[in-house]
Amino acid sequence: MTAAREAAYLPLAFLTVALLGGVRIGSHMALVPPSLYSLILSLMLLGVLINAGALAPERLMNARRSGLANMSGFVVLLTLFFASAQAFTLVTPESGLPHLIVCVFLLTLLLNTLAAGADRVRTLRSLLVVFGSAFILKFIVLAALSEQTGGRLKRMLLVLLEGVTLGTLTQDVLHPATGYLAFFTLALFLGGLAMLPGGHDGRKEKA
Amino acid sequence: MSESAVRTAGLAASICYAALIVWVYAHQPQSLAEVSGGLTASIGAYQIDQAAFDEGLRLFRGDQFEAARAAFERADPAHKDARTQFYIAYSFYREGWGRFYDDDRLFALGVEAADRAIALAPHGTLREDDPDLMMHTPDELRAELQAGLRNDSSDMNPLAVLRKRK
Repeated sequence: MTAAREAAYLPLAFLTVALLGGVRIGSHMALVPPSLYSLILSLMLLGVLINAGALAPERLMNARRSGLANMSGFVVLLTLFFASAQAFTLVTPESGLPHLIVCVFLLTLLLNTLAAGADRVRTLRSLLVVFGSAFILKFIVLAALSEQTGGRLKRMLLVLLEGVTLGTLTQDVLHPATGYLAFFTLALFLGGLAMLPGGHDGRKEKA
Repeated sequence: MSESAVRTAGLAASICYAALIVWVYAHQPQSLAEVSGGLTASIGAYQIDQAAFDEGLRLFRGDQFEAARAAFERADPAHKDARTQFYIAYSFYREGWGRFYDDDRLFALGVEAADRAIALAPHGTLREDDPDLMMHTPDELRAELQAGLRNDSSDMNPLAVLRKRK
């Protein structure tokens, strides 16, 4: 890995994810910090990446490197941690039953990926599916359900769904720009994950 | 460019960027003007547009409150000047005040602006010696706005119609 990638591209990309991941544009613009739960998921994601060989922390920090190089490596790990936390916060619905379901869904998928012991490519693909499906659920499906406009049939179905879920289904309506921003943020995050230094020995690459 | 120079530059850029992110999350700015205004205010370099402020004051004294607020917003787009925020709060009070009832929406916005004025005032105190005003501090103004928002038995007092706008 080049020094520029380690010292500049990766930290700046992950910091951008940490910044944009909390932006919610509604009636007012709000910046949402990562939840405690997302910090735990983020820690688990680091474990998944290391286990799969998609991240080799020993290539970022070790005794043979200079102090400055180790500091750069530490910044990559730290920014990756906060970017992951913000990415999880971004794709998790804000409240109600969808929030609970997605929290359980993300935890289960991460545990499953960890247990499966997949290689780097498969793990990155799996993460693409996890974040992609959560994005679709929050910014397309739930956003459409929470939108107040629509025909009589849609409103009747919504009333029925709200009744079944005890009024915990619909979310605060976000400006469409939030969805576009979230898409860009997740693309940047997943791109950053793909650029992380993997294991030297190609462990699990052929598994 | 040597490797150590790249690493040093990257580290410096990352630290500055991280500090900016922490600042943005702590202050929750609502616009780019608030971001730039907040940053300049943090180093003591923020200045309002005096011409727009004077225009706002002229409109305020002419009871053109909506136009006055537009001018005050132009003068202080970052919401960082206590005096301007005080006048914005006062314009909400005067526009929302009614002999029979007050406009709760305008009064609530007035409370928000008064809170900003109190938070921004040096040592939390601001005194505006404007002879056109009957309340000279954001605290008095805030208390008046809060009283207008409160629903209690005094709302039924028929003598309340004799009160004067401050």
